[in-house]
Amino acid sequence: MNDLAIRTHSLSKRYGDVRAVETLDLNVRRGEIYAFLGRNGAGKTTTIRMLLGLVRPTRGEVEVLGRRIIPGESSVFRRVGYLVETATAYPNLTVEENLDIQRRLTSAPKSAVSDSIDRLRLGPYARKRAGRLSLGNLQRLALARALLHAPELLILDEPANGLDPAGIVEIRDLLQTLSTRGGATVFLSSHILAEVAHLADRIGIIHEGRLCEELDRAELLAKENPSVELVSSDNDRATALLEAAGFARIEAKDGLLRIFDAPGREAEVARTIVGAGLDLFSLATVKEDLESYFLRRTGGLAS
Amino acid sequence: MIRQVLFTEFLKLRRSKITWLSLLAFSLVPLGGGLFMWIVREPGRAAKLGLLGTKASFVGLEATWAGYFGMLVQAVGIVGMLLLSVIAAYLFGREYSERTAKNMLALPAGRHWFALAKFCVALAWFGAIIVFCLAESFAVGALLGLPGLTAGIAARGIGEVLLASGISFLVMPVTAWIATLGKGYLPPLGFAILTLLLGTILGATGWGKWFPWSIVPLFAGTAGPRAETLAPASLVVVVLTFAVGVVATIVQYRWADNTQ
Repeated sequence: MNDLAIRTHSLSKRYGDVRAVETLDLNVRRGEIYAFLGRNGAGKTTTIRMLLGLVRPTRGEVEVLGRRIIPGESSVFRRVGYLVETATAYPNLTVEENLDIQRRLTSAPKSAVSDSIDRLRLGPYARKRAGRLSLGNLQRLALARALLHAPELLILDEPANGLDPAGIVEIRDLLQTLSTRGGATVFLSSHILAEVAHLADRIGIIHEGRLCEELDRAELLAKENPSVELVSSDNDRATALLEAAGFARIEAKDGLLRIFDAPGREAEVARTIVGAGLDLFSLATVKEDLESYFLRRTGGLAS
Repeated sequence: MIRQVLFTEFLKLRRSKITWLSLLAFSLVPLGGGLFMWIVREPGRAAKLGLLGTKASFVGLEATWAGYFGMLVQAVGIVGMLLLSVIAAYLFGREYSERTAKNMLALPAGRHWFALAKFCVALAWFGAIIVFCLAESFAVGALLGLPGLTAGIAARGIGEVLLASGISFLVMPVTAWIATLGKGYLPPLGFAILTLLLGTILGATGWGKWFPWSIVPLFAGTAGPRAETLAPASLVVVVLTFAVGVVATIVQYRWADNTQ
């Protein structure tokens, strides 16, 4: 059996002159949680639509659970749960009825509807029309729909959209449980990078349609890029003093000095500055979080 | 699978106001026809009530069952085509307007089943309205006490109403295709108005029997002298139009990019 849940090869999509996705090679292993990060318009949703056969690739190919996806391919989606972009449902139907549509068309057992409602805590809204749900509950309904038939693969576009902080944690735990206990593969795109950092086994960063980096958890930790940040009474002089003392990677920005080769040598940094008669207002060792890393990789810090 | 898809397509209509609104709107057709019959029979009283303008003319119209059925065929032909466009716009366009198409098209059921099920729902919906309209017509005609009801006239009247409805239904799939192509409600409604105008104009020319949307007006008699029977060429045209519309809708569902 193929150990990849998702495989794309040279996947590309153009809309006229616009390159939405360019030669994307993705390999998502079965059972892992793969986070797909990218800024708005980076190509995340187009990729997800191609994975689901909703959009035809201009070039390249997609395999989902070992089956090549061609437009209209449907049988493999019995094993796939998905949420594409914004959560939507039939507004004149109740939560139960919306889920019943999914149940019937995925051949799931009757109990799947109530199980799904319980799992996503939609009980109080089960008989409420979807058109009258709050954004958060509509998102829960979309997630309930995606999970209803116990899929092997979940493809979720911004699953935490519209959820409150408690809801975000709840969904994170749910996805983690599905992956670790149920063996489900989760492919998700998100803008909430802190959540992704907690959840993902691997992270792919897409920028301007191209996969610019792929990291596993260990690599992510290694990329935390620790540095010593300080504020002194004269940062220019402090920079000169530190360079003279052998620190080579110093960056000055917004009244702050960042010394990338200083972690572990904090006392030496402090002595150098204070010993020269400068005031040291603050000094701390910081690690770059995923958000900063992501923004730096995709050029977001330039602005 | 078609059974499940059909069930879900009917389920999607639950609590939908448009089904009742369409029935209510169409129920005005027999009432309107009945009003005309009454005006023809009672022109003096109608004039006193202001229902008959001095220049209004009902030349050739008789207040009989045959006349009433003739009016119904005209109304069903034109209003029916418009109603079917609304039905097609709703069934096929709403999935895009409400952004549920992306959910539907990635479900593990062949996309052609969704298209075919929607056509079946349209047929059932329109069929129910026509049956209701016929029943209402008999009630209105009986209330008015129209003369000349025989089994032959009733059968002919019902047959012509059903034939006009059937031809209208056969040209509807193209509107459904326009809804999937335009991804919403407005393009099919615009298309319906355009074809209604073109159908009426071309119906008055010699080309009418070749233009699908002229064939109903010709048969109903709203685009010139009424064609008592459907020309074989016209029958071929409407059947081909139906086939092309259904296939185009399925192809659109299956192959077109869904970016909404």
